[in-house]
Amino acid sequence: MNKIVGLKISRILFAGLILMACSLPGTVFAQQAPDGVKKDLLEKGKLVYYKRCVWCHGVEGGGDGPSADRLFTRPRNFIQGTFKIRFTDSGELPLDADLIKTVTNGLPGSAMPAWGGFLPPAEIEAVVQFIKTLVQDRDFNDAEDEEVFVQEFGSNPWGTKEPYHLGVPQEDIDAGKAIFIKNKCFECHGGEGRGDGNPTMKDDWGFPIVAADWQQCWNFRGSRRNHFDPFNIVRTVSTGLNGTPMPNFKDQITVEDRWKLAAFVNSLCPRKKMDRLTNKPVPDFLISSLYTEGDIAEKIDDPMWAASDHDPKIVERGEATLTNPRKNYIAMAGQITRGKRNFDPKADNLWVASRWNAEKNVIYYLVEYHIRFLSSDPEFPDAVALQWPAKLQDLFGAEKPYFIMGDSKKPVDIWKASFLAQDYNATNAPKDDGYKLAVTLTESVGHGFDAVAAKESEPKVQVVDSIFKQGKVSILFKRELTTEGEFDVQIPSEQFIPVSFLQWAGRDKEKDEHMAISTWYYTILEPPLPDSLYYMPPIMAVVFIGLQGWLVWMTKRTRKMFEEGKAIRDFLPDKG
Amino acid sequence: MNKTFISFVVFVVTMLVFHNVVFPIMNIKEFSWVMNPYVYYLLIPITLIFINITLRLKPPVSLIALMVWVLGFYFYKYVLYPPIPWTLFITYMVMWSIGTFLYVSQDANTFREFRSPIVKTIIGEYKIARIVLFALLPVLVGWMTYQSIYPTFQEPVELRTVHPAPPATTKVHGKTWVLETSRNPYRVDEQDNYKNSFPFLDADKNEYMKNVTEGGSLFFQNCHYCHGDQLNGIGMFSHVFNPTPANFIDPGTIAMLRESFIFWRVAKGGPGLPNESTPWSSAMPPWEEHLSTEEMWKIILFEYWYTGWHPRTFDTEESYVGQWEKEGKPGGAH
Repeated sequence: MNKIVGLKISRILFAGLILMACSLPGTVFAQQAPDGVKKDLLEKGKLVYYKRCVWCHGVEGGGDGPSADRLFTRPRNFIQGTFKIRFTDSGELPLDADLIKTVTNGLPGSAMPAWGGFLPPAEIEAVVQFIKTLVQDRDFNDAEDEEVFVQEFGSNPWGTKEPYHLGVPQEDIDAGKAIFIKNKCFECHGGEGRGDGNPTMKDDWGFPIVAADWQQCWNFRGSRRNHFDPFNIVRTVSTGLNGTPMPNFKDQITVEDRWKLAAFVNSLCPRKKMDRLTNKPVPDFLISSLYTEGDIAEKIDDPMWAASDHDPKIVERGEATLTNPRKNYIAMAGQITRGKRNFDPKADNLWVASRWNAEKNVIYYLVEYHIRFLSSDPEFPDAVALQWPAKLQDLFGAEKPYFIMGDSKKPVDIWKASFLAQDYNATNAPKDDGYKLAVTLTESVGHGFDAVAAKESEPKVQVVDSIFKQGKVSILFKRELTTEGEFDVQIPSEQFIPVSFLQWAGRDKEKDEHMAISTWYYTILEPPLPDSLYYMPPIMAVVFIGLQGWLVWMTKRTRKMFEEGKAIRDFLPDKG
Repeated sequence: MNKTFISFVVFVVTMLVFHNVVFPIMNIKEFSWVMNPYVYYLLIPITLIFINITLRLKPPVSLIALMVWVLGFYFYKYVLYPPIPWTLFITYMVMWSIGTFLYVSQDANTFREFRSPIVKTIIGEYKIARIVLFALLPVLVGWMTYQSIYPTFQEPVELRTVHPAPPATTKVHGKTWVLETSRNPYRVDEQDNYKNSFPFLDADKNEYMKNVTEGGSLFFQNCHYCHGDQLNGIGMFSHVFNPTPANFIDPGTIAMLRESFIFWRVAKGGPGLPNESTPWSSAMPPWEEHLSTEEMWKIILFEYWYTGWHPRTFDTEESYVGQWEKEGKPGGAH
């Protein structure tokens, strides 16, 4: 009861604030009663709810269905009427259209799938009406106490187009960055927007919550399956996210400036080809290692390793990084197959680039991933590993070892870098030059998730550089292509070699098989460009010119033979 | 002005207008009898013929052949839905080209007419055409050579058997199950009687819904990460794994399999697969490590209840097929 009274009071206060805001000149709000419950749809909606939704959202809509405890983010608790993605002002009930959009498009980055295309629109509308009846603390039919103010969002000033929304002028993006700094968005979202600002946030129900990682916009809850559209960011900045620490900025930032801020946030997200079914980037299943002459830089910030995360086919690269290896997107998930399962992995993906040098017999892998906060506990360090078939030469065809740390017959070679950041505290303010990492490299042989043993032979893999900067871990691995150890992978050039990735979040107390994992990818050591590339095309062109000359000569000769009567032309039938 | 040239311009303009203006109007998401890409396509030659006849352009055979060939290319490339793979596209275009050639060469008059501009270009009667063509073609050949030598790498294609042959028996938690004769112990009643029952709400009222509720709860604690909240194989982790998780809505999975087969696959998971089904990359757990036999059967019961499919049976095959025909495509897949 107390809670309800408290809510009422806060709502009255809130209404007061809104009245004040309304009296400001130039601010226009569309004020209306909330959308009432359409009673005739409830029966149909109930049928849908108890078949499709109850498993996560619970029998009474308390967000406590059987799956809830194993989900991060937890399913929505409907009882308080708190809904994140709305067109209405902070703290207010959503419109029917908002809820329908949420059900239709799902909430990316959570377990909520897109129901549009699966359920007919009529069923979605019906279940939304039923969900409104699960709200106990507030009443959609109460037109007196529940007013909603539909926010003003303006329109896209640059007219950018789906799917990638490219082409916003740089000065507007820079202006957006200034707004980002002025409004201290970094306090939660981190210095470069990776959501690494504040490790202590809780939602209205006391569950831990993290800020969005702007560099992974495909996980924005409100992205509405249109991840690169700045409108979604304008909407969230204008209305806040109810139930979370995300406030609205409608009074602090003008609508025009919100679009610029959105353009800045939007510019951080790498443009990748998206899988329309899963709404995630399509993984780069082949990691090409670039043939490099001379020394390969052993510093991560060397221009040799510089490359944006954008797909170079979508966003053209600058001159300086044109010939650098691209960063390959590797999708990661919790290891939910064997032993202690990881239902809430902390890394969604890795980015991997590679170079190799034949004369020096070395290969480098630069592995990067976003993680909001690192562990400070030496017992549970953060870690990332590359996993290879230990006996590549014994594999036949497409055969590979079991992707979760090998099997009894086909062992894997695991290069694991465990690390703790130095002078690091998760609550520190953003630090531009990042934190040095104290890295320990272990090489292990895996004969199964429960049979991983450190190698007895001398370690050959080196971590030559590493850093944790603004929510991003970067680690540069180096190894010789061929080594002596029995369980060392021998890396041939011009061959497809299976490789996969493992990652442990120390703060989440992950270790051993409790980790994040990728499936098998391939890597290939690209050979240098063949010399024939330079002499064959002119040769073929000259040969073709010769052919052309022959054709002319032949045709002219035939003409001459016709004229001299030495040959007879084809017979034409009488036209009558 | 040269009539041939006018006819050529008419063709180019018509194609551009149709493709950029008419196509977006007529190619709507849900085809109707009039508004669909095929009607749109038929309108192009009709328009072209109409214009050429009214203006009395009488285009030469070589231009007609060009138009026919381009229209075929346009059809396979842009109009035909769903889009075809490029190997098929090449096959179709080879046949289309042969057809076009047969059309111009069927008659000695038309064939000579068709050849004449080509011959005139070669011997130099069309001077500019010869210079342009003979200069461009070698450059094109050089470029194509460069393209074909430039090394590109694509990951190898891997084939796998989706539904491998099951073993005769499987041993789960100490008990041996004969796949030929094993039934789901919880399938105690006709599933369709519970189509509109509520999990949880009706769990106290009857045994069947109690088991469906328990199976569903287990599914949403363990399986939905990959197989999805909609049982369509699109869960929050499914994009990571390769092979992608099974889609139970699809008529090619549980709908055509027997429950005992599903039980074997659930109990033994990825590591229990034979080599032709790539056991090394399947993320399917051997569920016997995490769940009891009873729990696995309940999950299977739930999967059929949720999708509306009936498990394949051999002794009552007729009734199963009959059910299918009566209802059309079940499972809420649209």
